[in-house]
Amino acid sequence: MPSILQYAYMQRALLVGCLLAVIVACLGTVMVHKRLSLIGDALSHSSLSGVALGLLLGFNPIVGAVAICIVSAFAIEAIRKKLGNHSEMAVAIVMSTGIGLAGVLSGFVKSAADFNSFLFGSIVAISGFETRLVVILAVIVLLAFILLYKELFYISFDEQAAAISGVPVGAVNAIFTILTAVTVSIAARTVGALIISSLMVVPVAAAMSIARSYRTTILWAVFVSITSTIGGLVLSFYLGLKPGGTIVLLSVAFFLVFRTIGFFRSGAKSTVSSKEV
Amino acid sequence: MTKVIEVEDMSFGYTREMILEHVNFTVEKGDFAVVIGDNGVGKSTMVKLLLGVNRPTSGSIRISGKEVQSIKGSGIGYLPQNGGNRAAAFPATCEEIVMSSQYKNIGFARFPKKSHKEKVEEALKLVGMEDKRKALIGELSGGQQQRIMLARVLAADPEVLILDEPTVGVDAESVDRLLHILHHLNIEKQVTILMVTHDIEKVGPYANRVLCLSEGACREELLPQAQIVHAHAHEHAHGTAEHVHCANCDHGPDKQHGHDAEHCAECSHCEQYHEHDHDQTHAHKHDQPRQHRENDGKEAM
Repeated sequence: MPSILQYAYMQRALLVGCLLAVIVACLGTVMVHKRLSLIGDALSHSSLSGVALGLLLGFNPIVGAVAICIVSAFAIEAIRKKLGNHSEMAVAIVMSTGIGLAGVLSGFVKSAADFNSFLFGSIVAISGFETRLVVILAVIVLLAFILLYKELFYISFDEQAAAISGVPVGAVNAIFTILTAVTVSIAARTVGALIISSLMVVPVAAAMSIARSYRTTILWAVFVSITSTIGGLVLSFYLGLKPGGTIVLLSVAFFLVFRTIGFFRSGAKSTVSSKEV
Repeated sequence: MTKVIEVEDMSFGYTREMILEHVNFTVEKGDFAVVIGDNGVGKSTMVKLLLGVNRPTSGSIRISGKEVQSIKGSGIGYLPQNGGNRAAAFPATCEEIVMSSQYKNIGFARFPKKSHKEKVEEALKLVGMEDKRKALIGELSGGQQQRIMLARVLAADPEVLILDEPTVGVDAESVDRLLHILHHLNIEKQVTILMVTHDIEKVGPYANRVLCLSEGACREELLPQAQIVHAHAHEHAHGTAEHVHCANCDHGPDKQHGHDAEHCAECSHCEQYHEHDHDQTHAHKHDQPRQHRENDGKEAM
């Protein structure tokens, strides 16, 4: 049986996959707690219109995806503030616009194969340039996440209280929005636009089932995300499966296992509590 | 006395229609002021204005002598209604939540130090929740969650505490405990408190000022301690509210005499008691709750 590591493309896939797994889990934790779980969906779908635009006009589709993603992310923030109690509709509005635009523009794209590679990703076919891009992105996102950890925590927990306490909510949200948009558009190239949103939410949901603090929620989410990515790549290599889909299904399996553990743990705790009473 | 909150001729409306019009009041250092008024009268809007979240359409709001917009929340602690509800779904420990309020002390893009952790510990002790520092906030009862939210506010050493209906959805025992803690802070640490509440019966004995908000205007009543509770006590004891004075609709004791204050169509929440019309029988009732104020506050802990 050939070793997975003897192939350069698999080495790159593992490196890029693990780096993305870490930053997507970190960003996802904030997203989920800001009640914006579907933002990854909206951005990844919107990024497709940027990809189509790039393919149509002859520039790098990743650049198009990044640009459209940033515009979409800020549009979500702006609409969210205007809609007040119905702020969650902002995600749906931007997602619909992105899908509509991508649908129309993709009709003019000559190479359907190029466009489809962004839909489902092609982690095993990424270039050296894309690998370097992901490494740089991962360093920037991780650095920003660590430095802005307490600001992001405060904003996720209570945005109004954070603003009252003097946290520069607008600036932190803007930085976070740009980082998310760039990550989603670049990750769409590797694991696919349809899968990136799942990776942003499912590992966090799994982590929340067993974590005992915000910090451990992030650590567990990163663990699930990395393990699913490595496991997905290995399984897809040996079993001939699609890597993106395998990665997501593994993270869903983690979610089910962690949820079951969490259920029994909370059940045991409530039994002890009722006995104490 | 030092004026901590000064609201001068302040008007505000989200549209052209004003919710609050020409509101004037001051809260001095060490005051425990209660804001009462019917639903939808603009109490929470006023809280947002005091916090600097909204800007007055006209007039001014000053906190410790500075325009509220310029201080950016400095020195103000805010405890919202059902603050714990939002926290319940958040997978964070009590310690992590209280630490979030240390933002100003830690600084932008910096990390907490030992002194910040000590401050958090001190705040948790102040609300009697030091045993729960590692517990997930979602695992606590509503009352305990509200105490953690209070600890979060206190860890920032606020000069003035603004509370928006903090007793809503909290069981009676936890309300008592919360009020004892606030009382202790007010008396011992001279923290100025402004609380919006409907639970005047519970909060009354701890307050020394009552601000009645009605139809966009704020009427300030400087009342002896715990009058409102006395009025209610009197009402319960006698089955009538003959001495209840409605400050809002100007029904004096004479006009009010003979009809139940709760049936005062103009305002049901602004029932206030007029001490000067009381005979000796009623006056002795005033002494009992006043002890709350004069108590050294140690019972709070």
